[in-house]
Amino acid sequence: MIEPIRLERLNRKDAFRYMGHKGGGISENLLAIADECETALLKAIQPRMVYRVFDIEKNENGVEIKNTPLIFKGRDIANHLEGCQRAVLMCVTLSSETDKVIRSYEACGMEKAFVADALASAAVEQVCGIAEMLIQKDVGEHYNYTWRFSPGYGDFPLEVQRDFIKVTDAAKRIGLSVTDTLILIPRKSVTAVMGISETEIPPKRRGCSCCNMREKCEFRKGGNHCGF
Amino acid sequence: MDFKKLLEKDFVSLDGAMGTMLQARGLKMGETPEVLNIEKPEILTEIHKEYIGAGADIIYANTFGANRYKLKDCGYSVKEIIESGIQNAKKACEGTDTLVALDIGPIGQLLEPTGSLTFEEAYDIYKEEILAGKDCDVIVLETMTDLYELKAAVLAAKENSDKPVICTMTFEDNMRTFTGCCISSMALTLEGLGVDAVGVNCSLGPKELFPVVEELCRWTNLPVAIKPNAGLPDPVTNAYSIRAEEFAVFMEKLVPLGVKLFGGCCGTNPQFIAETNKMLKGKKYVRVSHQIPAACCTPAKTVIIDRPRIIGERINPTGKKRFKEALLANDIDYILGQAIEQVKGGADILDVNVGLPGIDEKEVMGRTIKAVQGVVDVPLQVDSTTPEVLEKALRVYNGKAIVNSVNGEEKSLQTVLPLVKKYGAAVVGLCLDEDGIPKTSEGRFNIAKKIMERAMSLGIRKEDIYIDCLTLTVSAEQEAAKETLNALERVKKELGLKTVLGVSNISFGLPDRVKINSNFLAMALTKGLDLPIINPNVEEMTAAVRAYNVLMGHDLNSSEYIAAYGQEKSGEAAHAILPKENIDLNYALENGLKAEGARLTRELLKDTDPMAIINDMLIPALDKTGSEFEKGKIFLPQLILSASVAQSCFEVIKEHFAQKGEKSVSKGKIILATVKGDIHDIGKNIVKVLLENYGYEVIDLGKDVDYMTVVSCALENNVHLVGLSALMTTTLVSMENTIKLLHENNVDCKVMVGGAVLTPEYAEKIGADYYAKDAKESCDIAKRVFEEFYPQG
Repeated sequence: MIEPIRLERLNRKDAFRYMGHKGGGISENLLAIADECETALLKAIQPRMVYRVFDIEKNENGVEIKNTPLIFKGRDIANHLEGCQRAVLMCVTLSSETDKVIRSYEACGMEKAFVADALASAAVEQVCGIAEMLIQKDVGEHYNYTWRFSPGYGDFPLEVQRDFIKVTDAAKRIGLSVTDTLILIPRKSVTAVMGISETEIPPKRRGCSCCNMREKCEFRKGGNHCGF
Repeated sequence: MDFKKLLEKDFVSLDGAMGTMLQARGLKMGETPEVLNIEKPEILTEIHKEYIGAGADIIYANTFGANRYKLKDCGYSVKEIIESGIQNAKKACEGTDTLVALDIGPIGQLLEPTGSLTFEEAYDIYKEEILAGKDCDVIVLETMTDLYELKAAVLAAKENSDKPVICTMTFEDNMRTFTGCCISSMALTLEGLGVDAVGVNCSLGPKELFPVVEELCRWTNLPVAIKPNAGLPDPVTNAYSIRAEEFAVFMEKLVPLGVKLFGGCCGTNPQFIAETNKMLKGKKYVRVSHQIPAACCTPAKTVIIDRPRIIGERINPTGKKRFKEALLANDIDYILGQAIEQVKGGADILDVNVGLPGIDEKEVMGRTIKAVQGVVDVPLQVDSTTPEVLEKALRVYNGKAIVNSVNGEEKSLQTVLPLVKKYGAAVVGLCLDEDGIPKTSEGRFNIAKKIMERAMSLGIRKEDIYIDCLTLTVSAEQEAAKETLNALERVKKELGLKTVLGVSNISFGLPDRVKINSNFLAMALTKGLDLPIINPNVEEMTAAVRAYNVLMGHDLNSSEYIAAYGQEKSGEAAHAILPKENIDLNYALENGLKAEGARLTRELLKDTDPMAIINDMLIPALDKTGSEFEKGKIFLPQLILSASVAQSCFEVIKEHFAQKGEKSVSKGKIILATVKGDIHDIGKNIVKVLLENYGYEVIDLGKDVDYMTVVSCALENNVHLVGLSALMTTTLVSMENTIKLLHENNVDCKVMVGGAVLTPEYAEKIGADYYAKDAKESCDIAKRVFEEFYPQG
């Protein structure tokens, strides 16, 4: 049984980075808005997670998740899970109350909505980090784990979202669903795969294509990189 | 045997898990279990029989996920799957008294406003299931986490079947569902809708569910059903944590709370049901009856009328030019702003009235209720003189609403009260009838009594009737104030009903009205007024209520009063850089001081031409921040902040124009939409703010917009620039389709597109005229388009 996840603070540094901040001063007023948004978000955020561990088998179709209809297609996920015998399928969400906070900010001025949205994106990453730690503790710290790889990273198709949610029972367990256009609802949610191996896993490079902000990053839009 | 008869027993036994039993027989995680109804019916009959053998009085057919959304790719229709599911269960029941339930779970898509499925679509999906399951004995709606979705299902059940309905929702250890629905709101709403039993299932084991069940039993007098899980599943083995005997031990503790129907959910099997029945044997059903208080609710918030509660009156076009303009222009954000401001001011409930000649009140009411509920948690009072509008509002309202209003006229009683009953609302009864408003308190009291009797004869709870004794203008009729107060006192004391009163009418025609209003309010409160309808943003009025709650001991330790007045006012001045003396508009814009910006604009308007404010001050300031953003001197949130300040200045100017009956000047109309399937609209909304600041009239179609809606809107309004936004690679195709359709219909317009996944090359490929890399560039494009191609706007 995994303990509930609580966030005490949100990662502002990441949030401002998502907003396109490249260093330098941030106005008092903007910091005050971030304060207000952070307080409202911390009240609303109810981090939830669910995970399941499956045996996996690599074959000509892709990576098969045993005892489920799921087969992960794409070169990148196969590389990612190279050398792993099992995989954690995890889902994380901040809850629909979080969406509501952002929505009500949208009705009274976009500046707060924008800041709150970025703070919530940072929050979901924080929750993922904690969840990852808790899962490793729960499954066994003596194993080796890959980092989290999400549908949509590289050529790992987003189309797996629907079955991903089914096999983790995420609808019932954490209230997660996916639209026909493969958007996760509640909005601030993440699904991800971590490989588990008995032996050491060689480190792999991460890049923009393996980041949850890849579609809305202010740096990428300008053709740059956040340097993370 | 039928359900009613079954309830005469001390306890009713429900079955246990189906999914767990199917998985034990080889069903894989992620497969569609309902397909087995047709492909392996014998397995289902076998499982049902095991549960009947364990003593179940009601078995749930294997139809939990049999909706058109979840069955999409399975090869069978909803009708085939459900009919066979019911037949399998019926077959297992042959020769027994066991009843068969049509089991209906969530659709698997979240509803608006969090998700994109509409309430009406949800209703249709459920209707199809209910019709297909017409041979069942009972309808079960279970594992629900969204009260709105559940309401759609209940309405579908009640309107398309006469079978009894059992509803169970899924609560977490924080006593709420995933969507934030609390137990009291569930009970109030469902009892209002006329279901036959309520309860909880899934999520937790019987031990953890104790506090949830305890709270539920306090909030309902309906039979309570419970189907807990066998503890929690192990992520590696998927085995559940508690055994049948333990399960029964914890279930036993729920008996004294007043639970009537006992079963099991995930991880349970016939052994769990048998053990539970063994435990129940010889026990007597005891139910303490509870007095359910007068209350209204939204899923997240129940407001108990156990002391004065403020109803905010601002969402109402009467006498408000700016509000009328917003309604006509479909400017929902303006209305939402009013809602949020009132809640901040201290409103517990909001009245919603959108009656205005020239608009489709029914349609606008439905849309407004949904939108307001998307941003605030307080319950709403739906306000219209037209029964069809009230019905629309009650239908789409999420929770238990208040209807404003019914009166003593026969026609009103006959049309409004049945709606109140059907949708389980509370109702405001106005003390007037065919002969108008009685002059005396006696006359008004009698009408109140008549309304009460009629409402109760329809089965409306006494607690749900609130009487408005009506405020008349004291300057016209000085005796009238006393009559109102006397009537109010009698209604409260002699009829025992809650009272409601619109207060501000009292001072019409007098100077310094708020003095009269706040004193009249204080007087009415001491006579027993429960629900003052006021403008919560007038400090004296809200303060009168807060003070009353302190003095009467409702506000324990004066904590709410202190929270409201004890600290320094929080506002931008408190946390921002303190504005220097004599700051100007430029300073406000650069430093993101919204309230200051609005104040300064108001000052300027006294002796400056509004167009000069726009062209000589606001636009140059916006240009400056825009170019600083382009140069990378400031980053996006700072640009948005300046734009928001400008927006608050423009809002003041708009109001100024509305007062004078002039129209704001428009540089051209632009449609903005986030394309079909996409729901990320923050980017689009930022673009909207900037475009409006530059004087363009933006028709915001919102998110998830149908292709054709864009086309018809452009044609209808003669729009020459369309901005489309998409944030997902999966929704770019919608962008392409929308553009294609605009071209096919020969719409004379340019299309600009934006969104993080877009590239200039892709924009060109899908036929867009312009690619906007950010909000600033959208403004440059708009300027170019209107100057070069459509100089007349």
